[in-house]
Amino acid sequence: MSELIGVARPRLDAPDKVTGATRYAADGYVHGLLHARPVLATEAHARIRGIDGSAALALPGVVAVLAASDFPIASAGTDRTSEPLARHEVVFAGQPVALVVGESEAAAEDGAEAVLVDYDALPAVVDVEAAMDVGAPLARTVEETDDEAGDLESIHAGVDHGQADDPAEELSGNVLDRITREEGDVAAAFASSAAIVEGTFRTPWVHQAYLEPQVCTAWLEPSGTLVVSTSTQGSFVTQRELARAFDLPLDRVRVIAEPLGGAFGGKFALIEPLAVGAALALKRPVRLVLTRSEDFQATNPASAQVTRLKIGARADGTLTGIEARMIVDRGSNAGWGVEGISSLLVAGPYNWEAHDLRGYGVQTNRFTFGAYRAPGAPTAAFALESLLDEVARALGLDPIELRLKNAAVEGDVAVSGNPYPVIGVREVLERIREHPLWAERDSLPENEGIGMAAGHWPGGLEPAAAVCRVDSDGTMTVVTSAADMSGVNSGFAIIAAAAFGLSPDKIRVVSADTSSGPYAGGSGGSKVTYTVGAAVLRAAESARQKVLAAASQELEIAPDDLEVEDGIVRAVGAPDRSITVEELAKKALRFGGRYEPIEGHGGSAQTSGAPSVAAHLSHVRIDRDTGEVELLRHVIAQDVGRALNPALVEGQMRGGVAQGMGWALYEELAHDEEGRLLTGSFLDYAIPTAERIPEIETLIVEVPAPDGPFGAKGIGEAPVVGAPAAIANAVAAAAGTRLYELPLTPPRVWKALRS
Amino acid sequence: MIPAATRYERATDVEHALELLGEPDAKAIAGGQSLIPVMKLRIARPSLVVDISRLELRGIEERDGALHVGPLTTWADLVDAELPVGLEAITECAREVGDLQVRNLGTIGGSIVHADPASDMPAVLLALGARLAIRSPEGVRDVALADVLVGPFTTALGPQDLVTDVVVPTPAAGSGSAYASVEHPASGFALVGAAALASPGDETVALTGVGATPFVLDGDPREAIAAAEIFGDRFASEEYRRELALVVAERALESARARSGR
Repeated sequence: MSELIGVARPRLDAPDKVTGATRYAADGYVHGLLHARPVLATEAHARIRGIDGSAALALPGVVAVLAASDFPIASAGTDRTSEPLARHEVVFAGQPVALVVGESEAAAEDGAEAVLVDYDALPAVVDVEAAMDVGAPLARTVEETDDEAGDLESIHAGVDHGQADDPAEELSGNVLDRITREEGDVAAAFASSAAIVEGTFRTPWVHQAYLEPQVCTAWLEPSGTLVVSTSTQGSFVTQRELARAFDLPLDRVRVIAEPLGGAFGGKFALIEPLAVGAALALKRPVRLVLTRSEDFQATNPASAQVTRLKIGARADGTLTGIEARMIVDRGSNAGWGVEGISSLLVAGPYNWEAHDLRGYGVQTNRFTFGAYRAPGAPTAAFALESLLDEVARALGLDPIELRLKNAAVEGDVAVSGNPYPVIGVREVLERIREHPLWAERDSLPENEGIGMAAGHWPGGLEPAAAVCRVDSDGTMTVVTSAADMSGVNSGFAIIAAAAFGLSPDKIRVVSADTSSGPYAGGSGGSKVTYTVGAAVLRAAESARQKVLAAASQELEIAPDDLEVEDGIVRAVGAPDRSITVEELAKKALRFGGRYEPIEGHGGSAQTSGAPSVAAHLSHVRIDRDTGEVELLRHVIAQDVGRALNPALVEGQMRGGVAQGMGWALYEELAHDEEGRLLTGSFLDYAIPTAERIPEIETLIVEVPAPDGPFGAKGIGEAPVVGAPAAIANAVAAAAGTRLYELPLTPPRVWKALRS
Repeated sequence: MIPAATRYERATDVEHALELLGEPDAKAIAGGQSLIPVMKLRIARPSLVVDISRLELRGIEERDGALHVGPLTTWADLVDAELPVGLEAITECAREVGDLQVRNLGTIGGSIVHADPASDMPAVLLALGARLAIRSPEGVRDVALADVLVGPFTTALGPQDLVTDVVVPTPAAGSGSAYASVEHPASGFALVGAAALASPGDETVALTGVGATPFVLDGDPREAIAAAEIFGDRFASEEYRRELALVVAERALESARARSGR
């Protein structure tokens, strides 16, 4: 039934979401529910002298004012799981320092306002470059070990830590991690180059800006089991984190991943310990719903980065050497940062003769770094793809031809030292080269420009399992524990339908919780369709074997001579000898039934990654008087392996471009010199809105992933990676000058045009 | 995002509203598009919210050489209205306020008394020479809008002053007006906005977004902008805003002149 693959269909959750029927994490009714409101630090760096909750406690409806010491936390460490409320030292403005719990949200809010926190201010470390200097004040003075946060890192992309540190480089204690990747003689490579270009690129902290703020509800069952109903991308990782923090046996923690109202990497066990800590302390159900401004201040956006990049090429366009110094602002995140993945991806999907790539993870007093759609990649691509255009200009080459000449193909060795698996770099570049928009770039009206760029995401891996169960009405329930993000459940339905032989409308997909579902990792890293989807494929095939076995007995025909199509089992070549799946299921699922339930379990442990690549064409117009940039048109060609449901794939491509547009033109979390957030609401923090997003043309390129279900792979992250670079290259073409700092706000463009 | 506890009363007529507003820290609410957000942030915490939204102060009427706009007139009402020739800037400005939901609820009177230093319509009204009728327990008085806007989010109105009419002189024949702005990409408020009225033998330009209040430029716009006290912030520097002021003033003037038939 592979004709089911590649047909555009609405996603399964669309009717409920469009009509408002979906119950999100904040909507569930819980008897006796209390409401929590956080008290957020007003200082970026300070010692807490004391927290006075007496005035709050005197207010009607206020149940408790909780500080760190009130939480039954067992784990040490300064990660957000172990330290959901600041213990002694505040390390960013917006860090939760207390939690007020009330009988109503309003009472808790009144209470939160009345809590007095006495701070002893410490120097705030807000300049990530200055923070690296020997002698710079430290962003965290309390020494605590933090070896346990590895679970959260592994979700996104398992990245090796390169080679040994450079001992000659003396840096401050704010530098938590150094990555070095060296191969070949970079100096010799530059010496052999006809063009060498370099630049320092800056990108700011960027928030995921999901529609649904972070929300979590926690309660204890009478049996003592902790139940956590939350807006999360990963139920099992949240379960493990909570069990670790509160020293609970895994089986006493049940995490329910509720329907997500957006996440983009930002929802992996962040606020759950706050709700859980309160529920455990008070033995009553507690819900915490962040407001938008709290979500801006207290969560885990994408790191700011400073990238010094230098690349060379020979006259024929062959790339020679690449040298990068990538400084990553981790904020308070001691556990992990994107310096590893970013210093890999800065080489792009291209071949180099020699490389010297370094990444630095630096702590500051800004936020806690977290994942955001392709962590570390948009910044890397912005730097590299900007300089590739400069190389093309210096050598008089077509930018697409330059990239094609150096495009990696399967078997080429990446800067990670590993060979590339199947990768569609050439295919997507050729696709945009053919696009008529590319030919228009030399005949544009004044102040318009067209730019291109490519970007890729390696794709994550994690073992996963799934169950496919045929019910007595002949329909199938697919059970996984993957959070339904970006339409993955709708993809599972197509995979199961095609693998089993059932119409997709006969399939429902259930996202089970940690107490009952088969294992799945978090929905992140562009791995769900590739890994959980493969498990669904095998589970459906296994269920198909069961239905064939039952039909074989009923029809007295060998299983090999039977086929299943559209819910009917038929003899191959004799279609009149048939029985429906529904009839077989009815015979199986009853008292005294004769057949095993038609149910399959499948697992996957992929070993080969499935990178996705996207190439972009962007057409902009700039207003020279005001510096405003208008995106007129954008084309994206992406290698998606196989589009199980093109409507969903195109949705991901459009969404990626839109968020890339945010990186390029609008989004920036800015702090003042004391480390206080200046852009803590949508009045100050701009995102691309429907009004500003132009037509986005999506070109699906299919280079099947050998191990993916029907050739499919994870495609959610790749489309954002090259989008900011393409827009920046278009702006450079229109302006005649290049900007090295995102976003390209009107004042910045205006200033660049003047200098 | 939960307001502090407050009481609510609906005023039945203007006298009743004035009486209710006599309570310390009472605050009038009409469309709520400015007050509710600041209450949710607890920047405003009125003891009493006086709902004036059902008073008979809504509507647009041309009489005695002026356009009379009731303060409860919504942006949507203004967008839909057929306004006298020369007042094009009002429509142009109202159309760009917020989104449809905001325009359906937000009122011209609310916008004026909220006195946001970057709000659009006050600049338009200043350029058009608008005056306000203000009712208080002492009676009605007529005040130039320019004398009411005294600082950021600050007016010269007392707690028991209620705007009852916004009076815009009908421009002389052969006039045109326009509004141009460059918006902050997040808030949509004007980084700089300029309203212009081009009348036979006279041109007026008012700016918003650059200082404590919107204001009318005195004399030659270029010279006035060069001399004006202009505010800068993290997003847009003083230098940039001054340049934008020149750009939008010029754009508004050009458009106003074109509409006046010149």
